[in-house]
Amino acid sequence: MAKVVLSSALSRWLPQSGAAQPPGEVALTVAGGSVADALEQVFARYPNLRGYVLDEHGTVRHHLALFVDGAAIGDKHDLSQAIGKDSEIYVMQALSGG
Amino acid sequence: MSDVLLVSTRKGLFVLERGNGAWRITRREFLGDNVALAMCDPRDGSWYAALDLGHFGNKLQRSSDRGATWSECAVPAYGEGDEVGTGDGKPPVTATLRLIWSLEPGSSGQPGRLWAGTIPGGLFRSDDHGASWQLMRGLWDLPERRGWFGGGYDQPGIHSICIDPNDARKLRVGVSTGGVWASDDDGATWSQCAKGMRAEYMPPDRAYDPNVQDVHRMVQCRGNPKRFWAQHHNGVFRNDGGDWREITSVSPSVFGFAVAVHPRDADTAWFVPATKDVRRIPVDGKVVVARTRDGGESFEVLRDNLPQRDAYDLTLRHALAIDATGERLAFGSTTGGFWITEDQGDHWRVLDARLPPVHAVSFAGE
Repeated sequence: MAKVVLSSALSRWLPQSGAAQPPGEVALTVAGGSVADALEQVFARYPNLRGYVLDEHGTVRHHLALFVDGAAIGDKHDLSQAIGKDSEIYVMQALSGG
Repeated sequence: MSDVLLVSTRKGLFVLERGNGAWRITRREFLGDNVALAMCDPRDGSWYAALDLGHFGNKLQRSSDRGATWSECAVPAYGEGDEVGTGDGKPPVTATLRLIWSLEPGSSGQPGRLWAGTIPGGLFRSDDHGASWQLMRGLWDLPERRGWFGGGYDQPGIHSICIDPNDARKLRVGVSTGGVWASDDDGATWSQCAKGMRAEYMPPDRAYDPNVQDVHRMVQCRGNPKRFWAQHHNGVFRNDGGDWREITSVSPSVFGFAVAVHPRDADTAWFVPATKDVRRIPVDGKVVVARTRDGGESFEVLRDNLPQRDAYDLTLRHALAIDATGERLAFGSTTGGFWITEDQGDHWRVLDARLPPVHAVSFAGE
């Protein structure tokens, strides 16, 4: 299965079910397809996360970085890039913007 | 009298409470996160905090237990095709929410109603405590809106929302930079009402163009809703229903960001002056508050227990607050100074803390 990994800076905004500590880095398994498909599966599980990763027009936020198997996506407006069945997508904050 | 203050800073929301005659920090929320503003809704006691997360965008949080727990609300969002065109020559760009710059509760007869002013210039309304938001298209779609431009920020924004306490359908919003806009029909239709304001920074033939006036902050007297005060980029103005009138007697300077008006006495107002736009620090390194009690004919310079040497504190537009009695005021600075008065500014007390840069201050509860 492919995997979407949320950095700890992002996962701390996930709804907490009474947990005392933020969850740290979170890895979620998703079916393959495209980057968009993978993210939609994550958003289906955590609806509030959409607004943290994408702006209201569906563009990856300016100070957010998406790495697919180690390479940053080339176009923040276009998430149609295909992923492999064992791909890893890292969703992380850029070093700028903090 | 309010015994609680919400202090929004670059690194968290600090709750101050008064006990045994002293103000102390009793709660530290969203520590490390950029809190743009916070507001207590007097209708149900809810607290709202707008977060401006550098990486993850703007968020709105709501607490119904005075900050013990928070839950996330929706935020205003722009739609497909919404565009920011500005009057200063920048190319048009797709509109996205840059900042929740003002947040006000509706009237007691409008449960759940919230108003939010944003950068890049949209006014939004919620009728469900922030669960959803609608862009007020009557203002957004006006051609004049494309003549607005940023003042300090790249894009224009609505920083002040005044809701008439006697008729909640009457709204006035202050825009930086875009003058003052009025709606008498709950936000459906709008007209410019910054006539009389003067923009020193514009070419002379545009100086009195209402749509280019850089209002820094605008407040309305609750007891006399016809009276508005505005701290403008190059001066102070007051309004009693007609054109704005420039007030030139403010000492030590007419430049600044913040203004507060007494809730019942419209002639009493406070300002926190800075030197001028290209030198945004206190005059002579001395933090002072200017107060008028006669509608701007004269000003007193209040400085008791405020730093009077080598102080470089700037007070931003939302960082001066007054409580519902008009006795207590508080203000914070970009260098983390924080002062409270309980006698309308005659005497001030400094908070024993080194806060992060203060963005906004508001009293909670009455």
